[in-house]
Amino acid sequence: MPESRLRHGRAVAAPAAAVLGVAIAGIALDSYLQYVVGLCVVAILVGAALVPLVGLARIVMLATGAMMGIGAYASSLLITKLGVPFLAALAVGAIAGAVAGFLLGLPAIRFRSHHLAMVTLVFQALGIIVIREWKTMTGGAEGMRVPPVVMLGYTFRSDESNLVLLGIFAAASVLVITILVRGSFGKVLRAITATEVGSTAFGVHLGAYKVAAFTVSCTFLAIAGAILAPRIRIIDPDSFGIMQSINALAYPIVGGMTSVWGGLLGGGLLRALPEALRAFKDYAELIYTALAVLIILVLPGGLVSGIERIAGRVGAFREASLQEESAALSAHDREPTVIRHDAAQPVAAKPSVPALEVLGVSRSFGSLAAIVDVALTVPAGSIHGLIGPNGAGKTTLFNIISGFTEPDRGEVRLFGAESVGIAARSRLRMGVARTFQHVAIYGDLSLLDNVMIGLGENGVLQTIVGSADDALRGPRYRRREDLAKAALDIVGLHARRAERAGSLALGDQRRLEVARAIASRPRLLLLDEPASGVAIEEERRLKDLLHRLNAEWSLTMLLIEHNIRFVVDCCVNLSVMHQGVLVAEGRPDEVIARTDVQQIYFGKV
Amino acid sequence: MVEILDLLLGALKIGAIYALAASGFVVIHKATKTVNFAHGAFIMLGAYGAWATLTLLKWPYWVAYTAVPIVVGALAALVEFVILRPLRRADLFSVLIATVFLGVAMMELIRIVYEVELLSVPSVFSGVLAELPGEIFLTKETAWIGAGAIACAVAATLVFERLTLGRGMKAMASNYRGAQLCGYSVPVTYALAWFFGGVLAGLAGVFAAPPMGINPELATALIVPAFVAAVIGGFDSLKGVIVGGIILAIIETLAAAYISSAAKSAASFVLVFLFLLIRPEGLFTEGTRRHA
Repeated sequence: MPESRLRHGRAVAAPAAAVLGVAIAGIALDSYLQYVVGLCVVAILVGAALVPLVGLARIVMLATGAMMGIGAYASSLLITKLGVPFLAALAVGAIAGAVAGFLLGLPAIRFRSHHLAMVTLVFQALGIIVIREWKTMTGGAEGMRVPPVVMLGYTFRSDESNLVLLGIFAAASVLVITILVRGSFGKVLRAITATEVGSTAFGVHLGAYKVAAFTVSCTFLAIAGAILAPRIRIIDPDSFGIMQSINALAYPIVGGMTSVWGGLLGGGLLRALPEALRAFKDYAELIYTALAVLIILVLPGGLVSGIERIAGRVGAFREASLQEESAALSAHDREPTVIRHDAAQPVAAKPSVPALEVLGVSRSFGSLAAIVDVALTVPAGSIHGLIGPNGAGKTTLFNIISGFTEPDRGEVRLFGAESVGIAARSRLRMGVARTFQHVAIYGDLSLLDNVMIGLGENGVLQTIVGSADDALRGPRYRRREDLAKAALDIVGLHARRAERAGSLALGDQRRLEVARAIASRPRLLLLDEPASGVAIEEERRLKDLLHRLNAEWSLTMLLIEHNIRFVVDCCVNLSVMHQGVLVAEGRPDEVIARTDVQQIYFGKV
Repeated sequence: MVEILDLLLGALKIGAIYALAASGFVVIHKATKTVNFAHGAFIMLGAYGAWATLTLLKWPYWVAYTAVPIVVGALAALVEFVILRPLRRADLFSVLIATVFLGVAMMELIRIVYEVELLSVPSVFSGVLAELPGEIFLTKETAWIGAGAIACAVAATLVFERLTLGRGMKAMASNYRGAQLCGYSVPVTYALAWFFGGVLAGLAGVFAAPPMGINPELATALIVPAFVAAVIGGFDSLKGVIVGGIILAIIETLAAAYISSAAKSAASFVLVFLFLLIRPEGLFTEGTRRHA
């Protein structure tokens, strides 16, 4: 589809083009306004740089000023003290920002929300103290003079040339940020914000992504500082103080947190605001912060969402054309296609090796013994049910099998391989996928993107490098898109693939979870109450789906369920848990008929 | 040795203010799970309130100590009710960010009203209470602030632990729905928590006004120590923050005296970082270990 690739290419390039456009349009203004536009262009870059960290990873970043300071001082010192050419100094400044961002991000593995905000504040404060006290290098509180940029023998002295210079560097940076935000990296960050467990189960390393978000954002903040320094001519600690950090935090908040456009808009408008309010200089800061509070209060999605709402008529038109498309497809969608036996199907394990062996597993939480000495074997190709009253330890057992909880004792073998100690995020590669009792889909992403993350290959470097391919619909994207579409087709959600996952009904969300779990063609599927809370018609569809997956892919399943009718119809074997112990196992109808099981489960005597 | 003792007495006075500042901050967090970055601004309002009562209206000190905290408390409850309550439906991230900007807005408002005037209030007491060995003078002022602020913080702890109010708040923080079902009204309990936190902030402001001076920077000058004291104490432990505030003040005072004034600000930040890294549950833990 070259046309769609063109469309996506345009969408990726548009923010960068807008930045360059603003800078070039600024040339028409007078000298002072050119200076202001230059500052706005830098703020636009800052706003865009904060989108991954503040908007997507939802981290309260209070060290923006210090990060810009690192870029500004590192590059300026190289130029003035060592005579390094501007481009090289800029590159070193960016690397310094990346390293600082990486280090600042490390605590993010352990800390959350306000503690993390405090850590960034600590960084900000210490950074300013270092700049102020290291007088021999930085000139201390008086600041240091930064010479004009010299590149290819040309000195950027005039306001026009400076504006073009800022425009080019900011646009190039914004282009990279747009690719990362729109590409697979940004999508996984959104997935993490939606559900951390739901992301971990599909191979996402949460800590690595948070550190990466810090590294990416801080790299571009340092670049913003490095290109700002020659423009403002004198840099001092106050240029990069805590107030700068707090003001910058407002950029993505006011503009809109989840798209690069939000960062651009917030940065550009808010930086221009104090200049526009010069007549009321004393009130500028108050108006600024009051505006931020107001936007948080009345327009949670920022200005971008407000604009989208106003442009609702355009949206309604687009919706209509999409519906036409889906109407054309839905006939095809009604009856899901037969599952294909293609090359991607995994080689069946040796029949002698069971898919799952649980040997003497126990786990306590404090004084509560959640499961005690549980042994369970699920042969390859079987559908095994697990029932028991609430608190019987089913979910604990499930979490141990999928790696979210470590057992105190015992072994868990997956296709013959010992699995205790292997992280939950690595289980997908062992051929084990799961669904969640409390639906854990990525609400802000499309169905297609949900399932594409379910395919795995979510290593942080993989998604960063793969973002360009993803944002521009390259070959890797199309290969993964085909696999994801196939999975959506199987569960009957193909026609709705472009919709937001969060807008689906619960039954559809459960089927989306199944699509996501089977996308990577796992060998063992763990289903945690897939039929809970869904309508009876949905239940039938789900049952058929599981039977077909089992029959045609020989996919092994372990199924927790409270719905006895559903379990009995689905399973080959059934186990009953009670107070952490397995009390019965066998053919579903026989197990259900046992009096001890009836007593546990139904309270019959 | 004598010098150190003298420094420690001064540190105790500042530490008591830190402790009181932090206790209001912790009360709000305990009851509503909100980290109130605007808490410093409420304390600053308390200090300005003290100035207004004493210098502008020429009313006696006891009025400042009683009326100002109530006004600040009412203001905090209003902020919770009007601005933060609607945000809670979104998420804690928005609430956190809103308090950051609210704090700055309050600072700026005060800056506009009072421009750059340096305001001050007279101390409550003058004269020496006792002379300690080694020619150290314990002034009445130091004793009053040190003992008074700590007494207030301790009283707050007792009130929070013992009264129904505190129980409702704790219930609300640990299980929102459950507490609702038991008949606690969420808006009322939250507004009460903010009122209570605001009263403590106002008190801290009145105590802080004579020794620390009155200016908008008081907000930042006290929110950071309040946070640091809370981290040292374990964030949800009211006993902990009292000890945390005093420890912080001692370390800051020693760093300022024996290293440099830059080391003083660095010390508090390094301290919070070390605590978050090595002992995130703080010196005193209540109940299970929280994930920071």
